[in-house]
Amino acid sequence: MLGPASKLALFRPTICLVSHMSVYPKNYIDPIFKKDQQEALKTSGEHLKIAHIPIKAARNNDTVSVFHDDVISKFTNYIMRKGDKLLARDLLDKSFEQIKRVQLEKYNTAKTEEEKAKIQTNPKEILHQAIENSRPLLQLTPIKRGGVTYQVPVPITINRSNFMAMKWIIEAANEKERTIHFPQKLAWELLDAASNQGRVVKRKQDLHKQCEANRAYAHYRWS
Amino acid sequence: MRVPTAVLQRNARRPQKEDQVPFQELLPLRLRNHVSGKSNRMNDVSCLQEMATMFACMKTNEFSESLCNKEISNFQKCYKVHIDRAFEAKKTDNQGIVKPGKDLNYKQLNKYLRNYPSPF
Repeated sequence: MLGPASKLALFRPTICLVSHMSVYPKNYIDPIFKKDQQEALKTSGEHLKIAHIPIKAARNNDTVSVFHDDVISKFTNYIMRKGDKLLARDLLDKSFEQIKRVQLEKYNTAKTEEEKAKIQTNPKEILHQAIENSRPLLQLTPIKRGGVTYQVPVPITINRSNFMAMKWIIEAANEKERTIHFPQKLAWELLDAASNQGRVVKRKQDLHKQCEANRAYAHYRWS
Repeated sequence: MRVPTAVLQRNARRPQKEDQVPFQELLPLRLRNHVSGKSNRMNDVSCLQEMATMFACMKTNEFSESLCNKEISNFQKCYKVHIDRAFEAKKTDNQGIVKPGKDLNYKQLNKYLRNYPSPF
C-alpha cells in the first residue's frame, strides 16, 4: 500500500526545468466523459491509440447529464466569486428563468406562426448566441518602441475571445442600479447581445474601431 | 613664453608603455562555447495582409461582421496556421535533432559547440 507521500511521488515529473502548476505530468490527457464522444472514439478506432496513455481524473462537475454544457459551466465559473459556486449557479439559473419568461411572453403575444417560429425560447441557445455575437477578433496590446507606448492590434485565439466575451457580459451585468438584481440585468444583457445590440456588442465594435485606427502599428508586434 | 612641442619631444599619440600600463584580460580572449537563443526568437508579425483587407471591409460596412464573413474567416485561418506552425517549429527545436546544413537554430549550434569546443 502506498502512503500519501509516495503517491504524490508518482505524480512528480522526474525532470522539472520549468515550473508546471498541474499535479499531473504533461503526458496525462484530459478525460473523455461524454458517452457520445466515447462512442465516436470507438467507432473511429481512436480509442486504441489512447488505451495506454494515463488519463487525468474527471472534474466533479463533468457529467453526462443532458443539462451539462461546457459553455454554461465555464460561464458559471466566471460569475463565481470566492469559490461560491452554489450562488453563481443559482444566479445563472435565475437569469435563465428571466430570459425564458421574457421570450415566452414574446412568443405568446406574437400573432402569426412565422413570427412565433423566429423567437428563440431556449435560454441556453440565447447564451451561446450572445457569446458568439460579443466575441472580439482582435485586441490591443501596449508595446513600447523608442520610448513611446503604442496600442498595437494583435489577433487572438478562439479561447481568448470567448473569455473576453464572457467577461464583458458579466461586467456589463454588474454595472447596474442598486435596486436591480444581478440575474435580471444579466438576462437583459444576454438578450441584447443575442440580438446583436446592446452595450457588450457596442464595446466589441468600439474595440474593433480602435484596432482599425491603430492598424498602422500592427507591424510593431513581436511577442 | 610658448614652447614648440617639437622641442619637448613628446608625442601624445605614442603607445602606452607595457610596464606602466599592464594589460588586463577583463574578458577571456576567446569565443564562448555557446550562443544565446535571443536572435532565434520567431518573428510574430504575420497575417498583416489579411488584417488590412479585413479592416478595409469592416470600415466600408460600418463594422458589422456578418457582411465580412469571408475576410474574417481568412484572417482567423491565417492566424491559426501561423500559431500551429510556430508550435510545431518549437517542438522540433526542443527535440534538438542535429542536422547538417547552415540553417541551424541555437540549440543545434550549442550541441555542435559542446561536441567541438574552441581549441584554445
